[in-house]
Amino acid sequence: MTGPMITNGDPVGAADEPRRSVLLAGLAGAGATGLFLVVMLLSIHSSVAGAAERLKNPAIKEDSKVAIADHAELPYCTPQFKKVLERVLHSCGLGDSSGRRGCKPTDVKTFAEINDDDFNALFRPLKDRGAVILFKTGKYELEEGAKRLVEDRFRDRRGARYFFIVARASKVGNVDRNRALSQQRANSVMFHIKDITRDDPELEKQVGMLWLGAEYAQFSTEYCAWITSSPDEKCTEQAINQSALVSWVDCRL
Amino acid sequence: MPPATRIPAVVALIGALLGLVFATYSTDDYAAHLDRQLHDVHCSVIPGAAPKEEAPGCRAALYSPYSAVLKDSLWGGIPISLFAQGSFAFFGGFAVYLLVAGDRASRSAAVFYAAVAVTPLLVSIGMFIISLTQLNTVCETCVGTYLASLLVALGGGLGLIRLHRRPRGGWLLPIVWLAALGLFTLLPTFVYASTAPDHRPYLGSCGTLKKTTPPEGVLLALRGSRPVRQVLFFEDPLCATCKAVHLRLKDDGVLERLDAQMSLLPLDNQCNWMLDRPLHPGACQVVKAVLCGQDRAKEVLEWAYQEQEYLLRAGKADLDAGHQKEAPVLREVIRRRWGDAIIQCMDSQATKQRLEKHLQYAVDNSIAVSTPQIYLGNQRICDEDTDLGLRFTLKELAPEVLP
Repeated sequence: MTGPMITNGDPVGAADEPRRSVLLAGLAGAGATGLFLVVMLLSIHSSVAGAAERLKNPAIKEDSKVAIADHAELPYCTPQFKKVLERVLHSCGLGDSSGRRGCKPTDVKTFAEINDDDFNALFRPLKDRGAVILFKTGKYELEEGAKRLVEDRFRDRRGARYFFIVARASKVGNVDRNRALSQQRANSVMFHIKDITRDDPELEKQVGMLWLGAEYAQFSTEYCAWITSSPDEKCTEQAINQSALVSWVDCRL
Repeated sequence: MPPATRIPAVVALIGALLGLVFATYSTDDYAAHLDRQLHDVHCSVIPGAAPKEEAPGCRAALYSPYSAVLKDSLWGGIPISLFAQGSFAFFGGFAVYLLVAGDRASRSAAVFYAAVAVTPLLVSIGMFIISLTQLNTVCETCVGTYLASLLVALGGGLGLIRLHRRPRGGWLLPIVWLAALGLFTLLPTFVYASTAPDHRPYLGSCGTLKKTTPPEGVLLALRGSRPVRQVLFFEDPLCATCKAVHLRLKDDGVLERLDAQMSLLPLDNQCNWMLDRPLHPGACQVVKAVLCGQDRAKEVLEWAYQEQEYLLRAGKADLDAGHQKEAPVLREVIRRRWGDAIIQCMDSQATKQRLEKHLQYAVDNSIAVSTPQIYLGNQRICDEDTDLGLRFTLKELAPEVLP
């Protein structure tokens, strides 16, 4: 059987040729597979180990500047406004737990350290935000229109931190009577707010009360242009000072 | 040997190499996020294309529950691209063998290859269907892998032509090859899992709520059917990440096990004083609609998530027309779906007050003006743990919420 093959040359080499080819192919395949495997595993290890290293030693991040939820602050919160605001807060019982509530004229004069006109000027930017609650001469009770306006203004918080009640009396009457009257007017507004909020304990930290009597920072008729609780009545200098200015103040401290 | 007999192996080899490249991209993208940061991702059917930031389809796939397995056991789980990498490496090596051996490769080798080479294609078809039906998007890198799988299957199939010309070959080797394929498929997962960092020290390190008791009756109650844990969300219905987290929790069956409250935080300066411009124009209107949904609030919220892109476009149209406050386009969309009563409710003072209380609650807690934020009890889940690592985080911090 093998005779003819012997005479035809190298029978062993010819018979082994296919086997050698397959063996070579097997080695090539195994080599390629091994190469793919090593590269792949090194790549995986490198990616994961890199992430682990970054996790352990994070690069210093640039300030991401994510805002923190806070109360509203509008451009009228000038440093001077804030200075007075801060004094009011500390002097009129909002900034601590002293239990004291409100500031009387002499207090305001002392802590504000600014003259009447400058004090009033601070509130001008609140023209569209606030309102002037008007009272009859010698009276401190809120009329129905006044109650609605207080409620409307108090409900329109828009993220503000503080609500101010700045009550006054006109120059009719004596100093003591006007001090008491302006305080009663401020209280009337405060009581109404307590009513509509069902005595929300947060009010103590929100509402600042000042009563100025007729001694300090009297309004000029410029303030008649504000929204008032009696828009149909004639606005005189006397009328505009028988009042309580109410407004949220969009300032942070 | 005619060159034509080698063509199937060449096709399979090209497919396997392409598959290996695309699967490596997917694994790299996944692994990069193990550092808890955001990274650009590969998102192209062209091998060698640079990673990019804007890649909605690829990110959707990356963050989807289908991108990895064993997510409870390892932060982010084991990406399925690892299995693809291992198998493509094997198919590539075997294709080299078939290419070099040509007609001398045995019949059993060709049949074995044809049989196993179809498996990546079957998996690809499954993933493609999931992409279309569950994710509603297609990831370009995944498409690259699908095409590579098709080439491998094609190469395997073509190798069956002229099978009779091949030598027989035994049936022991295919068993060894099958075991090798299994080993190749699993080996990358072992390397990945053994190198992956331990995220446990980072969980729950993102602060707590300052004011744990929200004002009564103000926040949105989203109580699941089997609530076992109190959770608080700060969300904006027009925020894409909020939608993704919401869907993730829903798909995982977690939402039904939460006694959740939601504080709405619209990133729209029309009602949110903390912003100087609208990040999600119209969000204030949509949030009011949700609040006015009352006992259907959850339904309105889910509608808003479902129609998010449409609502955002409507809000943007109002903004561009200078009617951000009146929002006629957006309100008409809401009215058509939910009726006139909801519009009246949205305009009421009570709704405005309630929304303001939601925002005030964010202020009281001095939280970042960003959404979503999730608090388990009063402990915040880090933003980094709300996507890839969500299941792992829940398993560690609140295992009872996992079904």
